[in-house]
Amino acid sequence: MQVTFDKVRRRSNAVLLYLVLAVISLLSVVPFLWIIFSSLKPYDELYSKHLTFFPRHYTLVNYTTMFERMVGFDYYYRNTVLVSCGTVILTLFAGSLAAYALARFRFKGDQVILLIFLGTIMVPGEVGLIGQYELLSSYRLLNTLTGLTLSYTAFNLAITIFIMRGVFASVPQELLDAARVDGCSWWESFWQIMVPMGASGLAASGTLVFLNSWNEFIFALTMNNWTDEARTLPVGIQLLQGQWQHWDYGVLFASVMLSFLPVIIIFILLQKYFMRGLTAGAVKG
Amino acid sequence: MTTAGENKKSRGRRVWNLDNPYVFVLPAVVVFGTFAVYPILRSLYLSFFHYEFLRPDQMHWLGLGNYREILQDERVIAWSGIVTPQGPLSLWQIALYPLLVLGLTINTPGGAFWNTIRFTIMYVPAAIILPLLLAVMIDRAGRLSTLFRTLNFIPIVVSVAVISIIWMWLYHPEYGVVNTFLRGLPGFGEGYNWLSDPKLAMPAIVAMCVWHGLGFNMLLYLVGLQRIPTELNEAALVDGATSWQAFWKVRLPLLKPTMFLVGLLSAIGALKVFGQMFIMTGGGPGDSTLSVVLYLYNIAFRYGKFRFGYASALAWALAAFIFLVTLVAFRVTRERE
Repeated sequence: MQVTFDKVRRRSNAVLLYLVLAVISLLSVVPFLWIIFSSLKPYDELYSKHLTFFPRHYTLVNYTTMFERMVGFDYYYRNTVLVSCGTVILTLFAGSLAAYALARFRFKGDQVILLIFLGTIMVPGEVGLIGQYELLSSYRLLNTLTGLTLSYTAFNLAITIFIMRGVFASVPQELLDAARVDGCSWWESFWQIMVPMGASGLAASGTLVFLNSWNEFIFALTMNNWTDEARTLPVGIQLLQGQWQHWDYGVLFASVMLSFLPVIIIFILLQKYFMRGLTAGAVKG
Repeated sequence: MTTAGENKKSRGRRVWNLDNPYVFVLPAVVVFGTFAVYPILRSLYLSFFHYEFLRPDQMHWLGLGNYREILQDERVIAWSGIVTPQGPLSLWQIALYPLLVLGLTINTPGGAFWNTIRFTIMYVPAAIILPLLLAVMIDRAGRLSTLFRTLNFIPIVVSVAVISIIWMWLYHPEYGVVNTFLRGLPGFGEGYNWLSDPKLAMPAIVAMCVWHGLGFNMLLYLVGLQRIPTELNEAALVDGATSWQAFWKVRLPLLKPTMFLVGLLSAIGALKVFGQMFIMTGGGPGDSTLSVVLYLYNIAFRYGKFRFGYASALAWALAAFIFLVTLVAFRVTRERE
């Protein structure tokens, strides 16, 4: 009797646990589903007093209107992809090379360089906003993708070096010694040993940097906000919101949905690296 | 190539030897120095000057003048102090009087500094506790834990800008989900003007931020939970502790470092809050959601004068404050242990 009672209690506890978790998880995704379903609703359903979650009639009209009328959206998309990918490539290249040197070599000034890199992690990036604006303006890099990419690269370098230095420091010395005996230069052993050995660390910091640059707002808003040719998605979407909110927000929903869907899909595919990168990034402090 | 490489290394003095740690750090040092260190130091330098970007000829030394102006700027430092409830109180209001005063005080808008502080005070406790509960549940969810973890993590990969826009529509007074939902319940009438009511705008933004950061903090807790050896928990259970006691007495104390990390990261992030206010309320209604970074952004780029000197001083004052908070947090936890 006692045993079955215990069993029932344990099972009902488990059911309760799953139920609570399901509700919380639903709350995490419902806003996105709301946007997705709303973007598929016709005009009169969006502005109806009796809102429904699922559309009564499905339509793609918001998407076709968006592609016809929303000039700029294609630029925002292209710019965000270019800047994010450019930042990831530059940061991983420069960052891991520096991390390799700082993890594996003793040379004059290495401690100072390391201290400067890691010390800046503590300084909020916003502090550099005004200096950055002036700098980019004097080099005519405002409203260019190059300028934004360089600025993102700089602000992601410290954390990348921090992560990769840890990864490279844990590569066994014997591997490097063996390569050295075989006649590899340091440069060659970087590519042939360090990069393959640190692949998962590189993937993790790569996804962290990608996410940082894909979502970055205040620098993009400050540096690249004069022309549509230079705007990134977060800034552009915010602008479209201002222009379309009183007009037809189904179209706005379509653009918002297109801006978050790829990241969510990439995240679900690469979630292992995302989570590792983000936690590694968090522990920096 | 092989022997040549060795020879180069052994001679070591050749100028064009690229196989050298200095060469390896060079790209990072150049980019970082130019686009991170220089702008930060330049901002510090500018903070001691009267400097409007469009009138560089009028730039002149002010010393601490900009910092003194901050202390006199009503839009930064205004604060109504402790706020007590007005009028006759009901019984439960008397019973919960201290809480009522605390709530009223925190939810009374002031200058940018106070608004940033009250945003942080509202955000951080929720950002510490709710993800902890979620993580503990997910940790026990067995096979389904990956699914729940993934679902709850989704919001954090979407940018603040997009999240803010989505929530503006959720909060929309007429067509928003929140009010549609409330209209279905008794006692809420037509719902609320979430973002245009000075009493509701800040809590509404805080709620969104808690939702947005939930998955990330949950993940930090899950990492922390995994670091705790399962034997400890089992030993407690064998000794006759209930699973509740085992959690409270064994695992929670071991999670303290993670709670500290979550709290500190949340506080630092909260003190720098910008995008949410910029997009959703523009700092309004009134100045009720004006944050420090939003104010300095407006000073530098919105109000037409491009007052880079004063804005830089605001930025550095905030950075100093964040540094102070970090320092105090580390001190306090170290003394406790």
